Amino acid sequence: MTTTRWRQRVSSLMAILTAAAAGSVILPLVLIFGFLLWQGAAAINVDFFTHLPKPVGEVGGGMANAIIGTLILLGLASLLGLPIGILGGVYLAESRDRRLPWIVRFLADVLNGVPSIVIGIFAYTLVVLPMRRFSAVAGGVALAVIMLPIVVRTTEEMVRLVPASLREAGLALGVPEWKVVLRVVLPTARAGIVTGAMVAVARVAGETAPLLFTAFGNRFWHQGLDQPIAALPLQIFAYAIAPYDDWHRQAWAGALVLIVLVLAVSLMARLVTRGRVGAVR
Amino acid sequence: MTSRRLVVGLLTALLLASTFGVGPATAQLLINGAGATFPYPIYSKWFDEYAKISQRVNFNYQSIGSGGGIRQITARTVDFGATDGPMTDEQLKSAPGELFHIPTVVGAVVVTYNLPGNPKLRFTPEILADIFFGKITKWNDARIKDVNPGANLPDQPIVVVHRSDGSGTTYIWVDYLAKVSPQWEQKVGRGTSVKWPAGLGGKGNEGVAGQVKNTPGALGYVELAYAIKNNLPAASIRNQAGRFVEPTITSTTSAAAAAAAEMPSDFRVSLTNAPGRDAYPIASFTWLLVYREQPDEVKGKAIVNFLWWAAHDGQKYAADLLYAPLPAPVVKQIEAKLRQVAYQGRPLLAAQ
Repeated sequence: MTTTRWRQRVSSLMAILTAAAAGSVILPLVLIFGFLLWQGAAAINVDFFTHLPKPVGEVGGGMANAIIGTLILLGLASLLGLPIGILGGVYLAESRDRRLPWIVRFLADVLNGVPSIVIGIFAYTLVVLPMRRFSAVAGGVALAVIMLPIVVRTTEEMVRLVPASLREAGLALGVPEWKVVLRVVLPTARAGIVTGAMVAVARVAGETAPLLFTAFGNRFWHQGLDQPIAALPLQIFAYAIAPYDDWHRQAWAGALVLIVLVLAVSLMARLVTRGRVGAVR
Repeated sequence: MTSRRLVVGLLTALLLASTFGVGPATAQLLINGAGATFPYPIYSKWFDEYAKISQRVNFNYQSIGSGGGIRQITARTVDFGATDGPMTDEQLKSAPGELFHIPTVVGAVVVTYNLPGNPKLRFTPEILADIFFGKITKWNDARIKDVNPGANLPDQPIVVVHRSDGSGTTYIWVDYLAKVSPQWEQKVGRGTSVKWPAGLGGKGNEGVAGQVKNTPGALGYVELAYAIKNNLPAASIRNQAGRFVEPTITSTTSAAAAAAAEMPSDFRVSLTNAPGRDAYPIASFTWLLVYREQPDEVKGKAIVNFLWWAAHDGQKYAADLLYAPLPAPVVKQIEAKLRQVAYQGRPLLAAQ
């Protein structure tokens, strides 16, 4: 009898502990978001979304150029990073060769661990110096390089999850292998691949370090992909360390907009993949 | 299924649209520059005002620090650079073309501190050097008391704050200490970053101002505007003539006036420890860096036109932002210099 009660107590204690641990996982996000809402919401107004920044120390203005700049950079990074990442992931999962996929997988994991500032310097050397100018393209390349390992690895995992029986069914009907991959394997794994892509986009949306020496920042509207471009994280960084109260206010607002953007991308990923998990059995 | 397709389609369309030209497409000329943080407030004011006058040209300036400005203009990744510590002969030699230093305004580096009630304090150069050497460690040190009779100086350690990054403001500061203290010149020397004998580091003028503001007993050096904007005190310093001078626009101007008389033709002159009764001793020009031979005719023309405007009409914005305007003789010299900036040998400046 006592042992039963003892076991029940331990059980409920552990239940509480694990629940508390699970709660503490979401606690930082809730706190961050709450703090941002508290600090940033008051600073958001129409000007913030429609106006260019004011000169140093003057009150008012907005971050419209930085919001558009971030969208453009994400678009560029996706155009460069997603096709390569997805095709590479498919190769890793489908190839019968042993050595190359192993090397690629290993190096992708290493690349995933490379600090983003180093990737910024890489893009500076590869794109900025030969072009002799900072540019949106350079920023897009830097972000794409950060996205690559994430996309490659998630795509590979998702394609691996596609049951062999599906492939065999296709092959048994005389469908060529490339067609099986294109028409059977990829559609089946699509939801997972899209999620991976969205996670990668959300991951790079807030990157500041790789943009410092590539996208560079721009006080004006976007003027072409070969020109420097504004980005929200850069603007937040510059405003947050300046000694002006109005800039601090706008930095909070910028941070709020950025996190809402990331949340929207994540939600979109959930929406796209809703109900698709069951398809892969 | 269809709704999912729709979402994917919409996303793709959004990506493509955002990449290729959402936003007011402008056929404007964008000129990019980077460098010093010290003159950033006045530069951003100028570029804003100039954009109103010259509708087609936009100047984009990123304040990444003097060291970064020199590096980027040397790599030709920007159209102009900016620095408050003049480039060394070696740096000039390593640049791919002849670089001009064009002075824009004069600024002051001030000694700021955090004490109860923030009394107005006075310092001699010797005391400052010894504080930064870590030899004077207490606020109620007899030597500080001597020059500040009546000031309420607590028995508290002095927390020295200096810059942690490569900085033109640091260059001005240590250039001054090297001039007034032979020991400093020997042991620490000059540079945009040096091996500090004592103290904590802060990033940028804003970082030092923040640390001083938050640390009781702290003492550091920042550009004048950063002290004023943060409601921090600025000490009077004894100049060469033996008078204690407060950092103001007037005292900064007189520091520049003395140097203007013997300005070298490349403008690389130090204003620290300037002679003159009313001269504040820790002042400096700040420079824009441009290539004599411009690689792009249209951009080059826009740059020299802007520099001409900055040296004349632009000067009236300086005082509001706590910078001293350029002395008239220096403006004359700048005019001559700007006439030498050329594209394929042809001067770019329209006849003025």
